[in-house]
Amino acid sequence: MPEKPKIALFQCRWCLYAPADQEWVDTQLPENIHLTKTPCTGRINPLYVLNAVQGGADGVMISGCLPEQCHFKTGNMAARRQLEEFNDFLDYIGYDKQRVRFVWLDLQDRGIIQKQLAAFEQELDDLGPASNLVTRVKVAEGGQNA
Amino acid sequence: MSLPFNSNLAEQVKAIPGGEMLMMCFSCGTCTSKCMVQEKLEPNYNPRRLIREAVFNFEETAFADETTWLCTACDLCYPACPQKIHISGVITAVKQLAVAQGHQNPYQTAKVDEATCVACGLCESVCPYTAIKLVEKKVPFRGMITVASVDPGKCMACGMCTAACRSTSIRLNQDFTDNEVLENLWGWLEREAV
Amino acid sequence: MVDAARQPLIEVKAYTEVEKVEGFVGNFKVTLRERAKYVRADRCNGCAACAKACPVEVPNYFEMNLAPRKAAYIPMSQSVPLIYNIDMDACIHCYKCVEACGALEAIDFSMEDKVIEEDIGAIVVATGFGHFDPTPMTEYGYGRYPNVITAMEMERLNNSAGATHGMVVRPSDNRRPQRLAIINCVGSRDKRYNSSCSNFCCMYAIKNALLLKQMNPDMDISIYYIDIRTPGKGYEEFYDRAREAGIKFIQGRPAEITEDPDSHQLFIKSEDITLGRVIEHEYDLVMLNQAAIPQPDQDHMSSVLNVAQSPGGWFMEYHPKLRPIDSPTDGIFFAGACQGPKDIPASVAQGSAAAARASRILHSDTWQIEPTVAVVWPDRCVSGKGQACGICERACPYGAIDYTKGLSAEVITAKCHGCGACVGECPHDSITQLHYTDAQVLAQIRTLLAVEPEKKILAFRCQWCSYGGADLAGTSHFEYSANERGLRVMCSARMDADLIYESYRLGAGAILYSGCHPQDCHYITGQVAGAKRAARLDKMFARMGMTPGRFRTEWISAAEGDKYARVINEMQATLDKIPESELQAEIDRLKPEMEKKLTKMNEIPGVEEAMIQVDFIVNEMQNKAVTV
Ligand SMILES: Cc1cc2nc3c(=O)[nH]c(=O)nc-3n(C[C@H](O)[C@H](O)[C@H](O)COP(=O)(O)OP(=O)(O)OC[C@H]3O[C@@H](n4cnc5c(N)ncnc54)[C@H](O)[C@@H]3O)c2cc1C
Ligand code: SF4
Ligand code: SF4
Repeated sequence: MPEKPKIALFQCRWCLYAPADQEWVDTQLPENIHLTKTPCTGRINPLYVLNAVQGGADGVMISGCLPEQCHFKTGNMAARRQLEEFNDFLDYIGYDKQRVRFVWLDLQDRGIIQKQLAAFEQELDDLGPASNLVTRVKVAEGGQNA
Repeated sequence: MSLPFNSNLAEQVKAIPGGEMLMMCFSCGTCTSKCMVQEKLEPNYNPRRLIREAVFNFEETAFADETTWLCTACDLCYPACPQKIHISGVITAVKQLAVAQGHQNPYQTAKVDEATCVACGLCESVCPYTAIKLVEKKVPFRGMITVASVDPGKCMACGMCTAACRSTSIRLNQDFTDNEVLENLWGWLEREAV
Repeated sequence: MVDAARQPLIEVKAYTEVEKVEGFVGNFKVTLRERAKYVRADRCNGCAACAKACPVEVPNYFEMNLAPRKAAYIPMSQSVPLIYNIDMDACIHCYKCVEACGALEAIDFSMEDKVIEEDIGAIVVATGFGHFDPTPMTEYGYGRYPNVITAMEMERLNNSAGATHGMVVRPSDNRRPQRLAIINCVGSRDKRYNSSCSNFCCMYAIKNALLLKQMNPDMDISIYYIDIRTPGKGYEEFYDRAREAGIKFIQGRPAEITEDPDSHQLFIKSEDITLGRVIEHEYDLVMLNQAAIPQPDQDHMSSVLNVAQSPGGWFMEYHPKLRPIDSPTDGIFFAGACQGPKDIPASVAQGSAAAARASRILHSDTWQIEPTVAVVWPDRCVSGKGQACGICERACPYGAIDYTKGLSAEVITAKCHGCGACVGECPHDSITQLHYTDAQVLAQIRTLLAVEPEKKILAFRCQWCSYGGADLAGTSHFEYSANERGLRVMCSARMDADLIYESYRLGAGAILYSGCHPQDCHYITGQVAGAKRAARLDKMFARMGMTPGRFRTEWISAAEGDKYARVINEMQATLDKIPESELQAEIDRLKPEMEKKLTKMNEIPGVEEAMIQVDFIVNEMQNKAVTV
């Protein structure tokens, strides 16, 4: 088992107002965290989360803007609806609900993403590695096995 | 450069709902410093400048300005403006006028793959900009059928439709594909696993 | 202040509130509430023994709550008069102060508020301004970020008698700031809070920046602004000095301040308008130049003093250009920022002027007022006959009419300014205006329309603006139609609907209803009343089928001679377009309508006699072939 829990981070490209914070995410993320930047959390296909889980990620974090601060009006609300539902499904098939985290970042807060990630990492550490759903089989576009 | 006399862009913008307060702008720059497009996407993006262009009837520059096309009407600037100008309303008005004059959104918009679209309407229901409509259309090899259709003048390229589509029939043409994201993700997972 | 207190003819009444003001110029009755200080003024020598003994500490509002004071206190060491005060809200009744005061026996817990009434000749209001609290502007984080402070807090930090003895420090860690940002227009020039400009913040931003720079040459100071306003002698030079000293002026209003939660460092992202680029800077301390706003109790004071407020809430002066110190009520004057935000030189100038204005009253036995005052015919007033009315009281911009149900209305002559608004509004013609009685004005109308009325353009002009405009048109030799006949009243509010009906009844071709632009009205809100009535008439005439343009409303200032000439010429052109026979037919058709509205005209005292006189004179003149 790797030393630190593996976190797949999906970040909407808008949610960090401070340039320093975005720069940290873009260049300073530790090896155990993998960044996927999307135009909006609404662009995140539940498939991505499923793949992360099946590929052995210990946690998935999705960071978006506060509801009234969404760059695309209602994108984050739709994303939350879609991913929350998907999370229920994951929970049902045995992937701990706590491992998928949706965070809403206030534009005015500085240094918040670092803190959120550290806290999440700590929680995942306590939960231990997640391996029960690892299949090593990619689920590609259209849902077929690739 | 001289002020154009043959355009009444400002008057036209004021006549469109949302653009009424145009002339009240005193160029304080609050909107620009609040704007995330400027921060994240295009350093040259500047809503204050666009308003100024509209005030001075600089029609050509206003229609070609990035601001006209990249503003997603997130309205972060609206509550911040000390002159209570509905900035995205002004920008939308300029955009409407530009489209009416045949200008086109130069940035990416969503595209429908008409060969596979099943007209379920999921994309239509999630689009925050009501840019998607289901239309009757003659499609090669499929005949007269209903498919989704994107209005490029309204699409803001958020990608919600792509994430919602269950038949991978709609996507942003300059954006990543699902497969690219997955390749990348798996690359990291496999590397970390060893 | 110390000098003023020493002057034998000046009595300083500290801790005293004005509760009621009655009467009029030279004869005000003012009710004052002297608050109980619980320290006797005749015994306290200001030794501070009580404050030293007092164990209770509360924040000192004078120090912007940056320093404590005791429950037995004076707000600042220079307080005048130097008499201590016990804050009953904070006092725990331990009586240590009584002990400390000892033989002086100045402390008296049995004191109560005293209500006194004084005869006052003139009143100078100098209640100053209040400060906008930036807490609701969450984007700047005041109240949430310790190192964001207001200008008033900076004034106390920067003051050698202040909480830190003049050492400017960051509230979060008491460190001396190396990088300071000053943000202008916080809550001012902002339609979400206060839309007007606070007048002096640009200047004190520069002042504070320069002072700090002189004391700390290596301090990095930036001023964020929308526009820098330095109107005044030496002000621009001061701005120059600041630039020379290396203070950075950044044109661009920041949308947001963000804070590093650990170090409490502040970050400001703003557009630099001149560069057209957004720049982020880091700061140790940020000072917000909060808006100057009316005192929190300004509305209350305005009703106590019976003086009006301008839009925005400041006290309203008689006339913005001609009488900026006087209130609309004779004998009440304004000094300083209570009338509108202004800096110290302007406040002092206005204060001196107000004192001079007030002394004119104190030094005269009689007081001259305009002769055109209103008078009520008590036997005609319906209120005296038990009918509810009070229209005149509501119409008067000066509160000069006393309306009590059951009694006929009464004009307080000393308060009347002679605009005639009440006369114009009274539906029962029970009130008239000296020198502009209905009889007098109707007589003029009848004379002016005696011959070929259908060709005449009858122009009702107000004394202060449109009459002046017509005068200017004449002295400037602007040509306008010779068919114009001008008629003067004091204010468009006096242009009674009856006067207009009578003019049309007599067959006037066209009527101009003219007065001041709304902001120029000589009588506060007279023009507003006039404009409302004109709009009503306009609608009514349109309904009656009058040709558009025969009744016209225009606001013309005394400087707009060209406009006056243009309007008259346009009206002439309108008349020329109506065929003669059609015009005559229209006049004849509307005549009975007008008559219906004028059935009671002849009952107005003096009117019938005046009409007989006019007819006689006109006849005589016509016989002698004099053209009118
Ligand atoms: C941070 C800051 C810095 C400034 N720096 C400068 C500067 O460097 N130079 C400059 O020229 N100007 C400066 N000004 C402006 C200056 O403060 C004003 O011009 C000046 O205070 C106006 O004087 P005033 O007497 O009209 O009102 P105020 O100074 O406000 O005084 C009014 C007084 O009336 C009292 N009062 C209020 N209501 C009542 C009531 N109902 N009954 C009895 N008493 C009442 C108040 O307690 C107060 O003592 C600054 C202003 C601010 C906010
Ligand atoms: S915030 Fe408002 S006033 Fe300021 S530049 Fe933008 S639109 Fe103009
Ligand atoms: S009695 Fe009140 S004022 Fe006097 S010392 Fe005690 S607390 Fe202070």
